[in-house]
Amino acid sequence: MEFLQDLITTLNFIIQGLWVTIGVTVVALAVGLAFGVVMGMLRVYGNPLLRQLATLYSVLVRAVPVIVIIFILYFVIARFVNLSPFLAGSLALGFASGAYQTEIFRGAFQSVPSGQMVAARAIGMSQRQAIQSIILPQAARLALPGWGNEATLVLKDSTLVFVVGVPEILRRAQQVSARTLEPFVAYAAALLLYLVLTLLTTQVLQWLERRYRLQM
Amino acid sequence: MKKQGLLFSLLVMALLVMGACTTVPQAAAPAAGEEAAAPAADAANAPAAEEGGKLTAIKAAGKIVVGTSADYPPYESIDENGNFVGFDMDLIRAIAEKLGVEVEIQDMPFDSLIAAVQEGKIDAVIAAMQATAERDEQVDFTITYRGTKDAFVAAGDSTLVIEKPEDAAGKSIGAQTGTVQEGWIQEFLVDAGLTAADQVFSYERADQAALDVANGRIELLLMDAEPSLALAEETGLKILLITELTAEGGKSIAIPEGAADLKAELDRIIQELLDDGTVLKIQEANGLP
Repeated sequence: MEFLQDLITTLNFIIQGLWVTIGVTVVALAVGLAFGVVMGMLRVYGNPLLRQLATLYSVLVRAVPVIVIIFILYFVIARFVNLSPFLAGSLALGFASGAYQTEIFRGAFQSVPSGQMVAARAIGMSQRQAIQSIILPQAARLALPGWGNEATLVLKDSTLVFVVGVPEILRRAQQVSARTLEPFVAYAAALLLYLVLTLLTTQVLQWLERRYRLQM
Repeated sequence: MKKQGLLFSLLVMALLVMGACTTVPQAAAPAAGEEAAAPAADAANAPAAEEGGKLTAIKAAGKIVVGTSADYPPYESIDENGNFVGFDMDLIRAIAEKLGVEVEIQDMPFDSLIAAVQEGKIDAVIAAMQATAERDEQVDFTITYRGTKDAFVAAGDSTLVIEKPEDAAGKSIGAQTGTVQEGWIQEFLVDAGLTAADQVFSYERADQAALDVANGRIELLLMDAEPSLALAEETGLKILLITELTAEGGKSIAIPEGAADLKAELDRIIQELLDDGTVLKIQEANGLP
């Protein structure tokens, strides 16, 4: 019973980090999506130079631990613009996630049968038009399951932005643990919140997948 | 679309190259060998230093942004209501009052604090930080506001006897990452050949290390003496030795390198607070001996 009471008190404190975690995740996913779609497209349809650059981005960023990317980008960005830790951390996380999303979208673009492009060009579409109206919509649907997986990963990677001082759920759990010296209560509360967030994310993505399923 | 792609790629390249060239060594290795690079970088990216210095900039902004690592009671922690509390927090508020500015406290991992003050993201660090020679190459320190002692902590049923720091030789020992205690273990136990490197364990936070001591995973924990009192009481640990021998320098406030005006003013205020008994009052209020 005492455990439950402690847990509720702790949850009350940690929950203030909920919006930070959600905010970081949403910004990072959006930034990563922009990078992912563009870079994924370039990896498949870009000219040789752009293809190389997109590959370089994807390979390099995936080779470096996300926490290092956040640390570097925060302090590099800080030299030019004065971003808040929240914004800088989210952007850096998005930049890192973009590399993984690049591969998700590359796979999706390559899974659209090549006949689609040939047919679109045959009826007089430019390559750009064909990608925009024929390939991208089909690729987006194919990318959804992989993207949903990445979304849950980014949700958990959002814990890493504390390295630049953003007090998200896990840091708040640490603060409680340092004060009460009861790490299990603190981390159990954090676990519950992440569980709820992940379940919600999965539900939304499942709904999206159903919504855009091919009707046979 | 292609132009856009090119722009993106260039941005990516630029960031990666800059990151690789400048920040990694400075941020990742606060060790020797980077001294030459650090001050130059500081001068380039500390906009406050351009006109009138750091102190003027702080006064103009009306607030001082202070970094801490709020997981170290009784020096700094966060209470149930989310307020920063502890000896350091009360002290920095008293200092800011004398400065005539507001305090904004920013919670960060202890490891990130030096980098953050170097890059001008925060104006100062107050985190029970000891002014070691190694850190002094990266940042400047005010005068000491509090002396330091270290404690060797062991499990409640431990039979170890530690009469001097060297008695810890050959025992498995833990410390908090990036702290003076970790440095002492490395220099005087590992490098001296007294303890094998795989007997030394680093923890992100002292309370995690205390858990491992309680669970018997490590035999000893070397940490700052004062927080160890509360920690030992709450987790049933035993303090074997309190000593000044492993400590290096007292606790000071870290400020950006070259911020001479800020250092002069902070030194003056700290001395004043020491002399008029304010520090003593704060220390009693926070239950420090």
